[in-house]
Amino acid sequence: MSVPELLNHVLHTDLPRSVQIFAPELVLCVTIIALLLVRMLKWHHKFPTSWVALFGTLAAFVGVFAQFMYMKTGGELPQMRELFEFWGLTQAGVGTAGEYFTGLLVHDPFAVFFRLGLVLFLVLVQALTILTGIPDQEDGQDFYTLMIGATIGMMLACGANNLLMLFMAVEMMSVPSYAMVGFLKGRRLSSEAALKYVVYGAGIAGVMVYGVSLLAGVLGTLSIPELGSRFELLMGDQPFSLTNPTAVATALGIMLVVVGLAFKLSLVPFHFWCPDAFEGASAEVGGFLSVASKAAAFALLVRFALAFQGSGEAIQTLCLIFGISLGVVSCLSMTLGNLAAYTQTNLKRLLAYSTIAHAGYMVMAISALMVLLSGSADPVDSAACVEGLMYYIAVYLFMNLTAFAVVAFVRNETYREDIEAYNGLSAGGPMTKLLCFCLLIAFVSLVGLPPMGGFFGKFAIFASALKAGSVHWFLWVVLAIGGLNTVFSLFYYLKVLRAVFILPSADESRTVEIPGFNGAYVALITLPILALGMSWVMGDLTATAHDVAAYLFH
Amino acid sequence: MDPVGLSGYLTVGAVLFVCGVICMATKRNAVGVLMGVELVLNGANINFVAFSRHTALGLDGQIASLFVIVLAAAEAAVALAIVLNFYNNHLTIDVDRAVELKG
Repeated sequence: MSVPELLNHVLHTDLPRSVQIFAPELVLCVTIIALLLVRMLKWHHKFPTSWVALFGTLAAFVGVFAQFMYMKTGGELPQMRELFEFWGLTQAGVGTAGEYFTGLLVHDPFAVFFRLGLVLFLVLVQALTILTGIPDQEDGQDFYTLMIGATIGMMLACGANNLLMLFMAVEMMSVPSYAMVGFLKGRRLSSEAALKYVVYGAGIAGVMVYGVSLLAGVLGTLSIPELGSRFELLMGDQPFSLTNPTAVATALGIMLVVVGLAFKLSLVPFHFWCPDAFEGASAEVGGFLSVASKAAAFALLVRFALAFQGSGEAIQTLCLIFGISLGVVSCLSMTLGNLAAYTQTNLKRLLAYSTIAHAGYMVMAISALMVLLSGSADPVDSAACVEGLMYYIAVYLFMNLTAFAVVAFVRNETYREDIEAYNGLSAGGPMTKLLCFCLLIAFVSLVGLPPMGGFFGKFAIFASALKAGSVHWFLWVVLAIGGLNTVFSLFYYLKVLRAVFILPSADESRTVEIPGFNGAYVALITLPILALGMSWVMGDLTATAHDVAAYLFH
Repeated sequence: MDPVGLSGYLTVGAVLFVCGVICMATKRNAVGVLMGVELVLNGANINFVAFSRHTALGLDGQIASLFVIVLAAAEAAVALAIVLNFYNNHLTIDVDRAVELKG
């Protein structure tokens, strides 16, 4: 193709489609610029800048939601026709899954599902920060600029189709996170947390890009979906062995890239930053990092893992090694996270270890996926792994946000975050009682007890690990350790609940009163945990996750 | 004189990578650790450029190295700001003195 033809194709075919799909991210970019203008024109004294951020994010949410419904119904939804027209959605654009921006990003139901979740989460976290007032009037613009910027990076991660995009997305979600962790001015702990996070994060990013360079060089492409076929082509009939340079370099590259993603997921042994960063940062930022950056990193890991499916002997061995290593990491994360959480006295630190353990449960799904792929399994079984992971992430979004929101609201009243400060919390007014009840629901769901959403997510992941065990027995070991860990985790969550409901307060005369709006907010984000466990919404989400996951394997 | 082949470049890249990792692991000064990160990133850059010259990767490799340079600069800016913030609160940039958060 000549240069003019190429330019014509890009301008007239690729660009309109790409802009249409990318519109919600562009709205977020415009919001960032608006926030910076507000600072420049000194409007932040006249009205709260948080509303600018919230308005822009809501607009982006509506945009992604329209895309989601368009893809789900094929544009045949009369009630939403005006919305579709407003966002200019067409069958050739959003209606068709496939690559956009000349193959750097990919548009499919999986990406849209994760983008929808991320923007919804951004709306909820912004509402939380407005209620707790963590960035003050002077700093609001900077805080929301960082938060929206990180979210754009995460949305890019969900659609990454190129190793360069993978690296860019990881950096784009990390760099604003470093600054957000250190956002509390003049606090020793906050600056220390940010320093530890940035030093580990920058080091791991360097290691990851070295892995990308090895993979790209050995396989001769940066495109993620082509990695597997290139590897098969290069290996031919040779078996996977440690004396074959292609095999060794590819395995090393994969390992270094997975190290980078494992750092974002705070998997053991790359978890050191997580408790420190969460303890030093405000609870709102902790909640944002624990859910959003993990969901995005899981989307990336699924895309990267799926690149290496194939029928050759060498690639199947590679998948098996990959899957079993992830299984080992999963066992370590679950066990260490749960054991370390037990001895904590600071609730944010306890929740940080709990997120490490939950990342361990979730990575079990990807481990099962890789082991199943190594045995040329039925695509339905492989899709079930991704489906379980998606359900778990959806529930995890709400239960973890509830826990962190409770920490933030109680901190605003008592100025403390240690577990002792929660003694006798339930003796407070009606709103405080509601808050305690919501915390109970969130914790029961985090443990994974039956009526709550957390149980069904965990059940789906454990079921896929059980199936993968028939390909390689090691997944049964992982499953057994996961089951044991679920029991361990009960104890430290109960320790917090005991403080809240049973232990008497140190000062009986002083009870904690939570403002009405805050109680209502927590109740609102707790409802989905219940709804995802015992109502028709559960069936809806399962069906959606099933369709989305099935699309990845068609 | 023979032209330098792919393996020569890769060796230089690997040496830079290892130097960077050692620097990150042993330096106690936060700025020293960040310099180690730069060495690692540049090791990757040499790989990218060498692969783009000698393998099917083509121009993609050179573009990737440009992006890595830009991102390294962005990351260094944020990292130095955080180091300065740490210095303002602790009057030191020794990473071994960041020990208040533990458990």
